[in-house]
Amino acid sequence: MNNIVVHIFRFLVFVLIQSLVLNSLEIGLGIQLMIYPLFIILLPFETTLPVLLLVAFVMGFSIDSISNTFGLHTSSLLLVAYLRPFVFNMFSPREGYDPLKEASIFEMGQRWFISVFGILLLIQHLWFFTLEMFNINEMLYVFQKTILSAPLSFLLCILLQVIFVSKPKER
Amino acid sequence: MHNLLAFFRRFRIFLLFVLLQVFALSTYFTYLSFPRSQYLTSASIVSSSILEVRNSITKYWSLGENNKALQEENIRLREKIKGSFIRLENPLVRIKDTLFRQQYEYISSLVINSSTNKRNNFFTLNVGGLQGVKRGMGVFSDKGVVGVIHSTSRHYAVVKSVLTEHINIDVIVESTGAFGLLKWDGRNSKFGTITGISNDMKLKKGTRVVTRGGSTIFPKGLMVGYIEKLTPIEGKPLWDVTIRFSEDYRSIQNVYVIKNFLKEEQDRIENTIPEDKVE
Repeated sequence: MNNIVVHIFRFLVFVLIQSLVLNSLEIGLGIQLMIYPLFIILLPFETTLPVLLLVAFVMGFSIDSISNTFGLHTSSLLLVAYLRPFVFNMFSPREGYDPLKEASIFEMGQRWFISVFGILLLIQHLWFFTLEMFNINEMLYVFQKTILSAPLSFLLCILLQVIFVSKPKER
Repeated sequence: MHNLLAFFRRFRIFLLFVLLQVFALSTYFTYLSFPRSQYLTSASIVSSSILEVRNSITKYWSLGENNKALQEENIRLREKIKGSFIRLENPLVRIKDTLFRQQYEYISSLVINSSTNKRNNFFTLNVGGLQGVKRGMGVFSDKGVVGVIHSTSRHYAVVKSVLTEHINIDVIVESTGAFGLLKWDGRNSKFGTITGISNDMKLKKGTRVVTRGGSTIFPKGLMVGYIEKLTPIEGKPLWDVTIRFSEDYRSIQNVYVIKNFLKEEQDRIENTIPEDKVE
C-alpha cells in the first residue's frame, strides 16, 4: 500500500492534472484550483522533513516549468511541506499516528482531515495569491481569491481521494 | 565556533527550508523586475513536449471556430490580390519597384499553451529560433495584438502577452489621434486600460484603438480593441480609459510573429538621441 511506486504514480498524476488541466481552467472571479498540497499530505507519516521539503521542491519546480509561473507554486508548496509536521502534531491522536495508516480522509476520519488539510490549504492559497499580486492595495482581491478558491480546491481534493485513494479494507 | 556549529545542527532543517524558499522566490522576483529568467519557462524541451501532446488533443475542440476565422482572413486577403482586380489598362513596361520595399515579414504559428487567469500570462508558441523568431518581436492574431516574444529556444518561444503587468504597448485612439500606453489590471481578460491620455481630448465610446507603430515592434494600425468606459482620474488631468480587447485571449490559437526588417536601422538612429533625464 505505502510503497514508493504508488507515490511516484501519484506525483505524476498530480503534476499533470495541475499543470495541464487546472492551471488552464478559467472559472471567473479570480478562482484558481490547486490540488497539489494533497500529495504532500498523503506522503507517509514517517517521512522526515528534509525529504518532504525536497519532494515539495521537485514537484513545485515541475509544475512551474510547465505552466510558466516562475517559482510561485514551488514557494507555496515548500511552505506546506514545512508546516506539515507542526500541524500534524497539533492534531495528533492520543496514541500517536499509526505508521501503517495513510493521511487520507477515509483512514484518519473526516474531522481530522478537514481541520488539518483545511488549515494547510488555506495557508497555501493565501501565500500563493499574495505573492502573485504582491501589492498591498490589492489585498482585498487576494482575500476574495483565497476565500473563493480554497473551498473549491478542498472539495476537488476530496473527490480525487474518492477516485484515486483506495478505501481501507475492513480489518 | 562550537556554538556556531551547534546552531547550524539545530536549525539545519529550517535552513534547508529557507534555502529552497529563497531559490524559488528569487526566480520569481528576478522575473518580476527583469524578465530574463530562462530556465523555468515552458520553452524547455521536456515541458514543451508535454504541452505539444496536450495541444494535439485540445486543438480539435475549437477547430470549427478557427477554420471560420482563417476563412474570413483568407477572404479579406483574396480581395486584395491581383487576380481579384479588373485590369483597366495594359502595362507597357515592367519596372523594378523602388518606391516600396517590404518592411515586415510574418511567421505563422500555433499557441500550444496559454493562460488568462493569472496576474501575468504567458503563451507558448510552436516556433522558435530555427524559424527566425527572436526576443522582442511582436505577436498578433487576425483579430488583434497578442504580445511580445519574451524568450526563445530552438523550436519554441514564450510570448509575454497583453495580459501582463508591464506590457506597455504604444496605442492610439483612431479618430482623435490621442495616444497612450496599454496596461492590464489583472482582473478580467476581456478588458484593458490605456494610461496617459489627457482629459481635454474628446473621446467617444466604441472608438477603435490600434497600435501606434512607434516602437519597432508592431506596425501601425494593428487592432487592439474598442473604448468601453471613460472615467476621469481624480486629481490628475488624465482619462482612465477602459478598452474591450478585440481578441478573446481565452480561445486564441493561430498567431503571427512579426519580423521587422528595418528594426535595426530605427534603433540605431534613435540611439543617437542624447539621453535626457526623465523627470
